[in-house]
Amino acid sequence: MEYRDELYIDVKPEEFRSKCLELHKKLSSPVMMYFAVDERTEKKSFAVYCAFLDWADKRWVFVKMQLPEGQTRFESISKDVFSAALFEREMKEMFGLEPGGNPDLRRLHLHDEVWPEGFYPLRKDFIPPERAQRSDGAYRFKKVEGEGIFEVPVGPVHAGIIGPGHFRFSAAGEPVISLEARLGFTHRGVEKLFEKMPSAGSDDAVSFSERVSGDSAFAYSTAYCRGIEKIYGLRVPERAQYIRAIFLELERIYNHTNDIGGIAVDVGFTFPNAFASIMKENTLALNEKISGSRYLKGVNEVGGVSRDFGGSERKALLDHLDGISKDFRELKAILGSSISFMDRVDKTGILKKKTAVDLGIVGLAARASGIPMDLRKTFPGVYAEANFNLIREEDGDVLARLNVRLREFEESVRLIREFIRIMAPGDISAASKIEPKPGCGIGYAEGWRGPVLFWIKTDASGRIERCKIVDPSFHNWQGLCFAVLGNIIPDFPLCNKSFDLSYPGNDL
Amino acid sequence: MKPAFILTQILLLVAVSPLVSGIIRKIKNNIRMRKGAGIFQPYYNLAKLFGKEEVVSDTTSWIFRAAPFVILASSVCALSLVPVFAATLSFSNMGDFLAIIFILALGRFFIALAGLDAGSAFGGMGSSREMFISTFAEPVALLSVFAVSLNAGSTNLAAVSAPVGLRLSSIIAAISLFIVTIAETSRIPVDNQETHLELTMIHEAMVLEYSGKSLALIELASHIKQILFFSLIAAVVIPWGDFALKMTVIIITVSLIEVSVAKMRLFRAVDLLSFAFVISIMAVIVSAAGY
Repeated sequence: MEYRDELYIDVKPEEFRSKCLELHKKLSSPVMMYFAVDERTEKKSFAVYCAFLDWADKRWVFVKMQLPEGQTRFESISKDVFSAALFEREMKEMFGLEPGGNPDLRRLHLHDEVWPEGFYPLRKDFIPPERAQRSDGAYRFKKVEGEGIFEVPVGPVHAGIIGPGHFRFSAAGEPVISLEARLGFTHRGVEKLFEKMPSAGSDDAVSFSERVSGDSAFAYSTAYCRGIEKIYGLRVPERAQYIRAIFLELERIYNHTNDIGGIAVDVGFTFPNAFASIMKENTLALNEKISGSRYLKGVNEVGGVSRDFGGSERKALLDHLDGISKDFRELKAILGSSISFMDRVDKTGILKKKTAVDLGIVGLAARASGIPMDLRKTFPGVYAEANFNLIREEDGDVLARLNVRLREFEESVRLIREFIRIMAPGDISAASKIEPKPGCGIGYAEGWRGPVLFWIKTDASGRIERCKIVDPSFHNWQGLCFAVLGNIIPDFPLCNKSFDLSYPGNDL
Repeated sequence: MKPAFILTQILLLVAVSPLVSGIIRKIKNNIRMRKGAGIFQPYYNLAKLFGKEEVVSDTTSWIFRAAPFVILASSVCALSLVPVFAATLSFSNMGDFLAIIFILALGRFFIALAGLDAGSAFGGMGSSREMFISTFAEPVALLSVFAVSLNAGSTNLAAVSAPVGLRLSSIIAAISLFIVTIAETSRIPVDNQETHLELTMIHEAMVLEYSGKSLALIELASHIKQILFFSLIAAVVIPWGDFALKMTVIIITVSLIEVSVAKMRLFRAVDLLSFAFVISIMAVIVSAAGY
């Protein structure tokens, strides 16, 4: 099970920490994935994997340790590598593995108010608790004390139609001095549900992956399919790769349009939002026309894509790109020429590069803070044929994140035109050759928000043993909490929108 | 006979006040390429709210229950002092324009207390922001009307609104009073009536805890306060020209501003109101100079 883009380093538990620190430093990569696998049936113990991204050699580096039999404690790395912290909390609640030395082991998704002690859902011998029950512990928020400091609790129920999340502000007057996000309200047990799928290569499994985080349906199904294809040794026909790239860019286009409008409406600037809404709706209508689904569901299948791209679709897409580019130029001009709008977004919610690096911020938010990180650049595939340009801004404020979106929109339009020009007729799927194989591998795609990662382990019968998903939001929620500091409370919704993170992707 | 006319005028204005909000919403939506709700929507909303059950938090005191009545009473009372359709059509011998500002301040005081009363985080933030904004808005309102009362030589609004022809100072005062009107009616760029974002709200944050009939009273009071400020500009500050025409111009201007600029950062709103303050002083000077 060796792939060109993956490297596994087996280490003894006592060397795990030092190896991780070494790789973190050498590759200057944050912890991209960090998860446990219950291997007690085969190997009598748990295994822990920690994944880094090697930009130079263009591969994923996994450090793997097999814990001794019966042991559930291992040495924490999060004191030295901050981007590992949340993953360790997750392992603690999902597997009951104790990262020794981690000062913060509060629950993430299984809230103390409803989930009793001693139930670890991702263990293989897990039996769900009969009813909701309080655990012994209580969730403690960070506390800031002092004269004139007050706490503002917001959510999880909000006034608008948005996902549920609880935000605890500590403010001195209007400026925020601490913000803590408590999420996990949309935890559905996605990783466990994948293990119950009868077949990893089935359309049902792909269709389920599309529903992990709705606004990134295509990125998710692409990442999932790539993982399975890798394990099963399927070669995806080139035409299918182009079609996937086109839809991935269409997903980026509609989401970026939505966010550009969203940023405007969050500062009360409703006209550009109305304009952007029309653009988004047109793109969704186009999606339905050429793929049968407004949110690009049902296109991907393991081995390729299920729908070819005929002459009429091609024409509809090209016409749409012409129309939307014209609208886009107008939208950009409206925003750029509005002093009141620019005043709100400029220098608001700055996420410094150093902070972003330490937190392991990924994707769009990382690129806006000056980190040149994009899986389309590291693992280009067909993107290399279209001369993909990585978009990066330096300032890390709301304006930078807006500019990344504006420029990526233009780049996406250009890429789709290139793809259409280059792609040759041919097969679109290798689905007929599916043969279940045991193995493990990482599937990935650069969604509009950032890298969507699936680490999948299958068994010989074609079932999924373990499926670890990492959404960019999982890293980036922390970035938002730091970006807000020093800004006034009424600017939080704007900062939040400029990140536009996913609740379901984070909560799984 | 005169009190009967005045009462008719007040009732008419109260009845029409939601319509003004409805028209502004309709214009805004049409500019934004949307169909929008009908201009009578605010009436339907009020009717709906009056028919709804009310939820009151256990932690509130009598202030929370009393506030909607005080707020509505204060705006109707203030409205009765404004001569709208004719210079004599008001109870202006009972109080001059200073009384209007103070009566409105009473309503504001109660709504801010009510915001604090429920003990929710948003109410407190809303009250603190409302007082912060009004600290800057009230002096501007006073100075603007001072300028025009200098023209008339009296602070009595009946005297002020007697047609004396258009003066430069009136126009300048109208501009500064218009900025105050935007702040007082919680409109962009100071506040945003349409937002669902609790953290950015000013006026809406204070009344988040209200529901049913109480909310209906508060909403009606907001409509009345809006028509009061519009009439103050149209009938008193610029006592010249056709009233309906002036109102139309004000309504369209407000709608245009709402869709064409972003809301200001909270502390930036002070800059705008300070600007209005400078203009109002200018109006006083110009008026003192005899223009």
